[in-house]
Amino acid sequence: MAALREVSRSARSLPLSQIRHSYQLCQRRCAATQAAEAVLQDLETDSTLGAPELSPEEKKIFRPWKRAADRKYTLPSSRYQYHPPKYNRGPLHPIQSPPSSDPIARDFVPGPFNLPRLRQTYQSTVASDLMTLAYNHKPPGESHEHEQHEETTDRLRGWDGSSPYHKNRQKRAPRGSPVLKLVERDITFRNIPEIKEITIATFVPEAIKEQDYLLVARTMLLAITGTTPEITKTKSNIAQWGLKEGERAGVKTTIYGNAAYEFLDRCIHIVFPRIKDWKGIKGTTGDGSGNLAWGFQPSEMAIFPEIEVNYAMYPSKMLPGCRVFVKTTATSDRQARLLLQALGIPFYGELRN
Amino acid sequence: MGARLPTSALRRPSLIPTSSSPSTSTPSPSSLVRNSVQTRNATFVPRPRRPYMFTQLVQLSDGSTFTVRTTSPTALYKSTKDSRNHLLWQPSEKSLRNVELDEAGKLAAFRERFGRGWDLDAKQPTEETTPPITAPQPAAPSSQTTTPAATATQPAQLEEAEEAEDPFDSMTDLISAYAKHDDKLAPQKEEKKLADSKGKGGKGKKK
Repeated sequence: MAALREVSRSARSLPLSQIRHSYQLCQRRCAATQAAEAVLQDLETDSTLGAPELSPEEKKIFRPWKRAADRKYTLPSSRYQYHPPKYNRGPLHPIQSPPSSDPIARDFVPGPFNLPRLRQTYQSTVASDLMTLAYNHKPPGESHEHEQHEETTDRLRGWDGSSPYHKNRQKRAPRGSPVLKLVERDITFRNIPEIKEITIATFVPEAIKEQDYLLVARTMLLAITGTTPEITKTKSNIAQWGLKEGERAGVKTTIYGNAAYEFLDRCIHIVFPRIKDWKGIKGTTGDGSGNLAWGFQPSEMAIFPEIEVNYAMYPSKMLPGCRVFVKTTATSDRQARLLLQALGIPFYGELRN
Repeated sequence: MGARLPTSALRRPSLIPTSSSPSTSTPSPSSLVRNSVQTRNATFVPRPRRPYMFTQLVQLSDGSTFTVRTTSPTALYKSTKDSRNHLLWQPSEKSLRNVELDEAGKLAAFRERFGRGWDLDAKQPTEETTPPITAPQPAAPSSQTTTPAATATQPAQLEEAEEAEDPFDSMTDLISAYAKHDDKLAPQKEEKKLADSKGKGGKGKKK
């Protein structure tokens, strides 16, 4: 019976003698062999008419409509398909969404599809070079951990104790700035500066009056980065510039990992060399904690291959420039610059740490 | 499959997004006053919105190729100007230098008559400018190739310029100075060089 089951339904309903006969026929007429076989596969050998009839008791018991009515939950369709839940309802909820690495998950993103060239360069040469070049030898036998610890912990200004009210008073922030700056950590095998993420931002004040500017900026960033940008709002009221707080007047995206490396690669090797009279990136860039930035003029945006290939799509007068913020795991601008220089970005002018 | 069904696995608490969505309950008089306790009935799991990404082959000007993921639908991107033929990235490449081409000798004649007081380059010689090339032949090669005549006229100056430009030369000298002290390595190197030169010579004769 199992062998019969593998034959298709319609073939089973046909009597065996007939099959044999037709098979011989087929052998004789080779021209129509394939067509006849296809027909036979759809036939069934045994008939439902031959099945024994149900007894009246059995008929009474068999009430499929009753079973359907009694059922509390609806059954899944015959083709069972799992759909991940649209909402996360907390860790204790019985329905949990699958991890994002699962292809069926709602937030699944396929990839990676290639290993970016710049990342390969970083892994194979840049990282080890940085580590070796920045090696700071400390003779064994001396405890440097204590010094390092003091440097990083006691950085707030204490009180001299000249007044009795100084007791238990909170320490003060350093002179000149209300916040503590990052302490530069030595480059070791555990702490090699790396590209963390790249944020690309555009400020389009024209968009306050004409919304289309925002669309152009959005499309431009989408093409460059391959991510959907988010729209930013103005922070402050400046009447002279016609700015009101809370207006939609900018676009930004952040790219991580491979995308960040590929964007940087494109900037370094394709875009920068094609900018006219480009000297490099200003040496004074940086926020003091290892994040460097530069900008592109509106005219320079057309150099990007993604925009260049479809330049006619953009209204060229509405195309904005953008600012690029490269965030690294370095704790000082000096180290971040070292990393970017190793990756191929030239700096010019005064270098500020 | 049943064991791996994602619904049966509890999520780690650290993965739970902390963003809050407003509660969906109907506004009652008591709930009009904003609750101090944050409620989150459900967090929407958004489907990522991303454009179609193509795998593109990029060919740099020196012929090297690599693949990138871009939104650009072109299968092959050939760049004419990139870091491989840019002076900023290839400072030792002499063909990329901005060489003054003086085919008819007019610039030379001008300088002979009026001197070089007008020249900005003469006062502050930079890396980009080298002494002008005077080519008497009308059919001079392109600006990227230096003629042997020109190199013969001012060889000393060019060499000086090279020394000033190449910080690596002094480094290689330093390294080679160290190598001389190593007695074991020196004879081997010489032998190798000899062998190389012989091989090259043989090939050249065959051709």
